[in-house]
Amino acid sequence: MALQQEHELETIDLHINVGPQHPATHGVFRMILTVDGEKVVDCDPVIGYMHRGAEKLSENCDYRQAIGYQDRTEYLAQFNAEWTYCLAVEKLLGLQVPERAEYIRVILGELNRVASHLMFMGAFGTDVGFFGTPFMYAFREREVIQDFFEAVTGERMMYNYFRPGGVAWDVPDDFEEHCRYVIDHVRRGVEELDALMTDNEVFLARCRGLSPVTPEEAINWGFSGPMLRACGIKHDLRRAEPYSIYDRFDFEIPTGTQGDVYDRYLVRMEEMRQSLRIVEQALRQMPKQGPVMAEGLKRTIRVPPGEVYSRTESPRGEYGVYLVSKGGDKPWRLKIRSAAFCNLSALKNLVVGNYVADAIIILGSIDIVLCEVDR
Amino acid sequence: MAEGAMPQEMGQAPVVERLRAILPQVQWEFVPTPNDPAIVVRREDLPHLMQTLKEHPDLAFDYLRCLSGVDHIDQLEVVYHLRSFRHGHTLAVKVPVPLEDPHVPTMSHLWQAANWHERETHEMFGIVFDGHPDLRPLLLEEGLGYHPLRKSHPLAEIEEWQEEFLEREEALVAAAAPPGARAEEDERAKKIALAQKKAEVMKRAREEARAKGLSGEEERRYVQEAVRRFEAELGQEVAPKEAPAPKAAPADRAAKIALAQKKAEVIKRAREEARAKGLSGEEERRYIQEALRRLEQEGG
Repeated sequence: MALQQEHELETIDLHINVGPQHPATHGVFRMILTVDGEKVVDCDPVIGYMHRGAEKLSENCDYRQAIGYQDRTEYLAQFNAEWTYCLAVEKLLGLQVPERAEYIRVILGELNRVASHLMFMGAFGTDVGFFGTPFMYAFREREVIQDFFEAVTGERMMYNYFRPGGVAWDVPDDFEEHCRYVIDHVRRGVEELDALMTDNEVFLARCRGLSPVTPEEAINWGFSGPMLRACGIKHDLRRAEPYSIYDRFDFEIPTGTQGDVYDRYLVRMEEMRQSLRIVEQALRQMPKQGPVMAEGLKRTIRVPPGEVYSRTESPRGEYGVYLVSKGGDKPWRLKIRSAAFCNLSALKNLVVGNYVADAIIILGSIDIVLCEVDR
Repeated sequence: MAEGAMPQEMGQAPVVERLRAILPQVQWEFVPTPNDPAIVVRREDLPHLMQTLKEHPDLAFDYLRCLSGVDHIDQLEVVYHLRSFRHGHTLAVKVPVPLEDPHVPTMSHLWQAANWHERETHEMFGIVFDGHPDLRPLLLEEGLGYHPLRKSHPLAEIEEWQEEFLEREEALVAAAAPPGARAEEDERAKKIALAQKKAEVMKRAREEARAKGLSGEEERRYVQEAVRRFEAELGQEVAPKEAPAPKAAPADRAAKIALAQKKAEVIKRAREEARAKGLSGEEERRYIQEALRRLEQEGG
């Protein structure tokens, strides 16, 4: 006993401040880590550096103008964000979206998911220690998708293309051809990326078994999207609460078993393939002609009083918009339920007990978009 | 999945019926919404109701998907959107909160997902979630003193106020500045100093208001009052004080330069002496200070 006491050194916990300006935090995000040696014993995430008050701003502009803030909130899955918002307005208005517009939305939304996951692959690879290669692979394919989006919407990032009632304008004539080219190209790229990363020994060593999450915990912590599916819960809003025309497509919902970092990665990798499958089916089924905007919509949209919580499966999980209308041309309240916000809120649970170096990987595996977190 | 096949409209009614059977003593008002059935409940019933919603096997709402605050001007409201993974049904629970007593019991012990949502709603609406483990501001800075998502905090008025603020500030500076060439140079520095002083006044007023336990609206008014007082004082005080400055300036400046040169010389000499004596760094510093003090005494 006495001997043991003699050898026990007095240690103190160190505080390490990661961010807000740090390449590993994927934006302006700060976490204050308390470490005991190499182990993290406490983690205090600090967010809000990108808070621009998108909810408040949306309350002060009319229903069409508010679409732009959705792009700027979720800047990696803009179509999915716009879609959620448009769904909310359409639900309150009781609008029926034309067939062709629904297919356009599905195609763009799914390709947007692929683009977002590619961004994740690149950034995550860098987190794990691959440095440039996966990043360049992923971005090469992402660029093809970006070009396609630019051809359709005229914008590279802030598309502002989905509107309540449909889409802003019809797609270009070579839409189908261009889309098939994108699918072929991206599919090859995804396989290359898969071959590069999935079975890599270093990658496995660093990711497998890292910060596993049980299904009960994941549900209680409010996880959604790939974070939730990695725990083995087969929950996808496209299936569980189908919106738009998702009940017409045949696709798998990939799930993991451990809920660890590696499973989160695998789920996303498989989701890209499934998304491409959906796009192919949608291209086949899409009507060649027809309107892309609901008829009888006035220039200024006036929404009857009511409230709705609309949600879609965005690449990061459940993206929700809680819209309260009191009549008139402006939303009374527009709350954005950000998937990354909810996933990130459990960062402390995920990180504590792991090594400092792994904390960066765990943070990367959540796939945060800080503009979406802070809104 | 089986749960996905069930249309939303069909899945709604059973939840509410089931809830009525399980909790007959709780009163609520049913509100239909396009996606989820919603109920408006009283604040007193909330802890018991939420506990039952989560833990009763027939309800099993294990997922808190969204928590929002709403400002209805006459009252606030907290809205919980719940989902059950076991049964696949959804429910929205709405709780009206009076403006004068914005307190709601926390739900973060039932769903950890509520933790950040409640922190956010607290800072944005000023709704206090009693029993929450950590109600620090999440997205906003600390000590902001107002709740931006309240309707009483309008967007347009701030911009107007900012414009007014700048105009007033410029007018004050123009009044305070001495005529002549140096006025333009100093304008910017003065503006900055003034803004800093003002920020200090606002901060102090806010702290005072906090200490007095004023509400958000009252606090804002209190701060504005303090700023007005500050500006009134400034308008009287600045003008006469600064006016005679320009004439004295050149002579003053020359004297200052001479003094500084003299000081530099003394320091140089003292250092050389110290080096010659072979003193250590610390001793040398002290030696120089001593020399400077002597110089000041002579000058004084």
